Amino acid sequence: MSMTDGPTPMQTVAAEQAAEDREASLKAAGRSDHRQPGKRRFGNLSDRWQALSRQQQWGFLVIVVVLAYLLPLINPPIITTEPGNNFALACFDMARFALIAVGLNVVVGYAGLLDLGYVAFFAVGSYCAAMLTSPDSPYLHIPYLWTLPVAMAVTMFFGVMLGVPTLRLRGDYLAIVTLGFGEIVRILATIIPAMKGQVGFQNVGHPPGTAVDGTPIFSNSNGVPWYWLTLTIIIIVTLLVGNLERSRVGRAWIAIREDEDAAEIMGVPTFKYKVWAFAIGAAIGGLSGALFAGQVGFVNNQKFDVTTSILFLAAVVLGGAGNKVGAILGGALVSYIPLRFTAIAEYKYLIFGVALVLIMIFRSQGLLPARQRLLAYGRTAMNQITSRNGKEPTDKDNPSAGPGARAVRQKGAEA
Amino acid sequence: MTLLELDGVSVHYGRIQALRDISFTVNEGEVVALIGANGAGKTTTMRTISGLLNCSEGKITFAGQDITKMKAHIRVVHGISQAPEGRGIFPGMTVMENLDMGTFGRKDRSGVAKDLERVFDLFPRLKEREKQYGGTMSGGEQQMLAIGRALMSNPKLLLLDEPSMGLAPQFIRQIFKIIKEINNQGTTVLMVEQNANQALAGAHRAFVLETGEITHSGTGKQLLEDPSIKEAYLGVG
Ligand SMILES: Nc1ncnc2c1ncn2[C@@H]1O[C@H](COP(=O)(O)OP(=O)(O)OP(=O)(O)O)[C@@H](O)[C@H]1O
Ligand SMILES: [Mg+2]
Repeated sequence: MSMTDGPTPMQTVAAEQAAEDREASLKAAGRSDHRQPGKRRFGNLSDRWQALSRQQQWGFLVIVVVLAYLLPLINPPIITTEPGNNFALACFDMARFALIAVGLNVVVGYAGLLDLGYVAFFAVGSYCAAMLTSPDSPYLHIPYLWTLPVAMAVTMFFGVMLGVPTLRLRGDYLAIVTLGFGEIVRILATIIPAMKGQVGFQNVGHPPGTAVDGTPIFSNSNGVPWYWLTLTIIIIVTLLVGNLERSRVGRAWIAIREDEDAAEIMGVPTFKYKVWAFAIGAAIGGLSGALFAGQVGFVNNQKFDVTTSILFLAAVVLGGAGNKVGAILGGALVSYIPLRFTAIAEYKYLIFGVALVLIMIFRSQGLLPARQRLLAYGRTAMNQITSRNGKEPTDKDNPSAGPGARAVRQKGAEA
Repeated sequence: MTLLELDGVSVHYGRIQALRDISFTVNEGEVVALIGANGAGKTTTMRTISGLLNCSEGKITFAGQDITKMKAHIRVVHGISQAPEGRGIFPGMTVMENLDMGTFGRKDRSGVAKDLERVFDLFPRLKEREKQYGGTMSGGEQQMLAIGRALMSNPKLLLLDEPSMGLAPQFIRQIFKIIKEINNQGTTVLMVEQNANQALAGAHRAFVLETGEITHSGTGKQLLEDPSIKEAYLGVG
């Protein structure tokens, strides 16, 4: 090859081969994690979804949302968890898990931070709601609905408190510290007298409103309003998280997840964004905890053990870490399966363990693999570039340049 | 004019000292090569300049400003950009998304289009593979992507850590030519290389690093002709 050739590198098969060999050995060192969309079953779903027009997508979403709201009223046979478990309450439990999974997905799925103590945030949120509304609590009392933002703010604060010292750690260390944090919160709930250990707090508040017969609408035994409230919150949170995901913040998270050092030298303030992921995840966990406390009406130190953290994590991984719809699905499934199949409920950890192993073997990206369109933020800039390039003669043969570039790229991103 | 100056820089990994009292300068418009055996501390030097490692002693000045304590992501904004060893591209992002990440720290959105054109001119292959995932690119293509991505921040100083690593001989020549081209376009380049022959031939000045210390320095030509360097690094005795 003469030195006067234009820069048209990598012409020879040999060159490619050598480079690939080298690359293979690099990968063996274990860094690269190819996040490619699954090509099987659900992967096609995503293709088909992208092929729909905007109106069709919206139409479809509206139907799904309406069906989701009607779910406890329809109480479909076969799907129902009755007679074993009240279906409306089961729906609430699924929604609660789904919300938790959406929050944990921000931490684990987007930013790639392995948090094994997520239950701690859930616990903090529960205690917030309980201690601010239960008559057993000697402290300031506020209306229940106000405890939701308060719980979020408090857990967010805890998230930052835990995040700032630990997020300088990487990988395994972070997992161990968060695991410890989960236990610390549970143990504090046991030993701090004000948190009343196993005795706990009775009659946690609930949203206002009474039915015609004078009983509260949001009673402990009626799952429907609680489910609707939680579902509404899930929709709002998912929309907000979706916006974040497509923003600069989302791109930063994905970059951190893929290669933290590389992200840093691209100009991403990695530490700051990791703390943000932690804080946002924590706030959503706290919100879910406050909802749980309100519905159950009773909070003590019994429900916040490590296995619950692992169950939350299983929900995210099962659904597809990094995919918010996957997280909702995973969360709902992890809650639903033991409620529906009460005979096997006792073995749920065994079953989820096996399910996770199988998922890892056959579908390592989870049920719904993540594939964010990262360019959303810079897309306008990039479109300008590609269309500008499209005007140049050398690019005439490139179908991806020009006005159609965006559509082509979007499709390509899903392919 | 001096663009980058390291003054008595020492770096430790825990208690292991990887760099001892390193001092050198890179002038604006130069290509400077850093050569040395495996484990000599070349990557450590690069990561210290880009800010991924902190120095335990010494001072780093960039464009007249003390950046010793500056965080890596801010150094990018000031004009230091690194294509890391082993490429360090984002495997799950497409080529275009990788390049887009290169603009993350930029304040001037308006310059992005121009720089993308520059990158595509230097590496037409990247344009062809716009939508391919970084992780599925061949080694050489990933190297182009890493360099292209680093250029997307429109750096004053481009740090290249073994740009020829694992590449076939024909392509190594291409890469050096491209580096020269980048330099001609006005970007100062500091590169680490195992390929001492070509690196010295293509560099204005060079330094030899041995177990964390600079042992030789001079113009590329001088070092090429230095007998001790010939013996140790150029494969002729
Ligand atoms: N993270 C680390 N922890 C401890 N020691 C390290 C670490 N990284 C590098 N070192 C040590 O520092 C020294 C310099 O390493 P460095 O990676 O800078 O070498 P290099 O010149 O880039 O080598 P190569 O040509 O093999 O890439 C080596 O002895 C290495 O073992
Ligand atoms: Mg090295």
